[in-house]
Amino acid sequence: MRILHAAMFAAVTLTAAPLAAQAPEGELVWGDTLPKGLDPHVVYDVPMQFYMLNVYDGLYRYVGNPPELTPWLAQGHEVSDDGLTWTFTLKDGVTFHDGSPLNADDVVYSFQRLLEMGQGPSGAFLPVLDPSGVEKVDDLTVQFTLKHPYAPFLAAIPLVSIVNEDVVKANEADGDFGAGWLSSNSAGSGAYIPDAGTYVPQERLDLARFEDHFYGWDDNPSPIDVVRAYPVQETSTRVLALMRGDIDATDSYLPTDQVERVKGAEGVDVSQDESMRIMIIRMNNKKPPFDNANFRKCVSHAFDYSAFIDVILGGYAERNAGPIPKNLWGAPDDLEPYTFDLDLAQEFCDAARAEGADLDRTLEIHIQSALDQTTQSAQVLQAGLGAVGVNVELIASTWANLTSQAASPETTPDMWVHWVSTYFVDPENWIGQMYDSDFHGTWKASAWYQNDEVDSLLDQARAETDQAERAKLYEEASRKIVADAADIWIYNTVQLRGLSDRVDGYKFSPVGSGGEIRWMSLN
Amino acid sequence: MVLFVIRRLILIIPILLGLLLLTFVMLRMGPGDPAAAIAGDNATPEQIAAIREDLGLNDPAVFQFFDYLVRAAQGDFGVSVYSNRPVGLDIAQRLPATLELTIVALLIATVFGLIIGVLSGVWRNSTFDHLVRIFAVIGLATASFWFAIMLQLVFSMDLGILPLRGRLATGMPSPPVVTGLYLVDALLAGRLDAFWSALAHIILPAFTIALGGLATIARFTRSSVISSLESEYAAYETAVGYPRRRIITPYVLRNSLVTPVTQIGLLFGAFVSNAVAVEAVFDWPGLGSYLVEAIFTNDYQAILAVTLVIGVIYGIVNICVDVIHGLLDPRVAETM
Repeated sequence: MRILHAAMFAAVTLTAAPLAAQAPEGELVWGDTLPKGLDPHVVYDVPMQFYMLNVYDGLYRYVGNPPELTPWLAQGHEVSDDGLTWTFTLKDGVTFHDGSPLNADDVVYSFQRLLEMGQGPSGAFLPVLDPSGVEKVDDLTVQFTLKHPYAPFLAAIPLVSIVNEDVVKANEADGDFGAGWLSSNSAGSGAYIPDAGTYVPQERLDLARFEDHFYGWDDNPSPIDVVRAYPVQETSTRVLALMRGDIDATDSYLPTDQVERVKGAEGVDVSQDESMRIMIIRMNNKKPPFDNANFRKCVSHAFDYSAFIDVILGGYAERNAGPIPKNLWGAPDDLEPYTFDLDLAQEFCDAARAEGADLDRTLEIHIQSALDQTTQSAQVLQAGLGAVGVNVELIASTWANLTSQAASPETTPDMWVHWVSTYFVDPENWIGQMYDSDFHGTWKASAWYQNDEVDSLLDQARAETDQAERAKLYEEASRKIVADAADIWIYNTVQLRGLSDRVDGYKFSPVGSGGEIRWMSLN
Repeated sequence: MVLFVIRRLILIIPILLGLLLLTFVMLRMGPGDPAAAIAGDNATPEQIAAIREDLGLNDPAVFQFFDYLVRAAQGDFGVSVYSNRPVGLDIAQRLPATLELTIVALLIATVFGLIIGVLSGVWRNSTFDHLVRIFAVIGLATASFWFAIMLQLVFSMDLGILPLRGRLATGMPSPPVVTGLYLVDALLAGRLDAFWSALAHIILPAFTIALGGLATIARFTRSSVISSLESEYAAYETAVGYPRRRIITPYVLRNSLVTPVTQIGLLFGAFVSNAVAVEAVFDWPGLGSYLVEAIFTNDYQAILAVTLVIGVIYGIVNICVDVIHGLLDPRVAETM
């Protein structure tokens, strides 16, 4: 696809300006990716956040940037002193799209359905919550009893969409919890109602505004009535479609070369928002020579951070020193990022050699073919390590292959490149799941980092309910992990979404990447 | 002839089995774990293990393959990782899109290829012939995704006369499904708006796919026409005093068509593989773009099923080519 970008870039610079907008009036055409299925308890990927935010509601919701945990279907919650019992009170008078009331039964059913099926976002709850731990107290009160204290519980609550129990149950087949039906239909209460008849997976879905949405529409005098989700597969086509007015929004990961082009074009612009999404080069800490801390430091100093961020990415990213996004609590302010310093790198590599590390083997760095930045960063590292006499070879792979290779230290590559996006806004989403040895075998923990002190700090942070105390624990853990040079943390993402000038009210949040349509209007 | 067709149809079966086996083995040798792909990004190792057990991925590979064959024979191709729906349903929805695109591309390549080929054969070494030669070389050497973007830039962006992507205008309801081919369904339903929209949308991708084939057909037709014109019967007809037009239209043309028709059959395969890149650029919701996503997501059931479908189409097209060959050349028909 890189050749494709280059060819297009060359071609576009030679040709004239785009046409005027052609999208229909009063309709928003959304060109970002659709989730791989429509059941919010089964699918748990970044595009699903767009669907969940617009079609479903949760007890709480993240709004704005930095994201604020806002009571949504719930009026509020209480937590017992031991941190085990969480009680949520629901707002009165909330209705589903079919007009039936949303009450505690639906909330209990939704959580139990998620836990019983064991898919999608259930992984965030299964270790601490059994289906029997979710109980209805009265029509507007739901109580959760955790198996042990787990402070990130509240942060994960927005992951669970509340579905209409009666509708889903009416469409069950062979005890599938209605999953077959819900994968192409909906049973929500959210601000937009999908038109299942228009749904073609990954191709098309039309949504209409739900006038009776519980939140009301007073804050938005001219909301968008019709949304047509028309994902565009290829980046080049997506940018052309935006410039031509076929779509009103691209995805939020525009390549840097496209950003300048969209900015220079008429009638369209790029929304730039610092998100919470860390780019990392993973090192397999269990595989020699990466089991040697001095060698990992050598690698950390051999990467030219400013060449990558400032030159290749044109400055559209923020250097991040450790595993927690620097705009989130728990990331230490005073953490010194590794610098590009070949002399230091040489010293650390020499020290590693003196300790018996074998640096003569050609090391592998696996890249994701579909994502240019993984190749570019690997090449930057290859050049840096080459200068200190370490050979690196690039291996093309895919996300699907790499995540399944992360299952064991033997199959995990020497190094690989990926991002950790915001699924829930808590340091647990990053440092907790990336460096606690309990998570070994998942892609997030594919550094195979093992440090008992860190394990214990992360455990304490989960059990502690006071955020200020938790922040201290995460800061301490961050310092230790960075001192161990467990991975190469590169940057925190600035999300770049191409938007038509006719879109007003675009409201970015790291959760959902600004895809919540209810705040927007068309001028 | 009927016996010939039946015999050929039966012969497709072992070919398809071999194709499936090869694909199956290659997929299993790759590093990806289908269970991890299905479980999703945030699955725990326990969730992945449960899915692996569910899918029978812990059974010996031979069992898995036979199990797949038995299910496939009953029309059950499994569930797609990419769309979370039965693979059969996805293919039923996407196959017509690819067929429509390929058929239109084949029509463009054949009609224009034959006309241009005949003309450059008849007007051999004229300026027209030289120009055609240059264009044929360019057409064969052009990468289809590059050509696709050039067409988009010129016809969609600069001139603004043709759509950039998709099968129908944004928001236009698709015609009721009869054949799945929008051009046909729109006419059947009397929906002229949809017909024109579908036609406008298909021109650029179909032409992109057709380009290489058009050049091939033109070149083969040209040499075929030239060798017919130089044959003894043409010399005899000229000697008898037939006008040139009378020689060319019934006699030379019929004899010249045999080679290009064989080419058309072979081209179909190239068109389907071209469709993979071209569908992605034009957002054409066909099997090609589906296959790309399936490969990226380790969607092994989808990959196997698409391979099978392409194999079936390939087999059928080749039989059709042989039959047409027989119709054009009675000597071939006798051997059938």
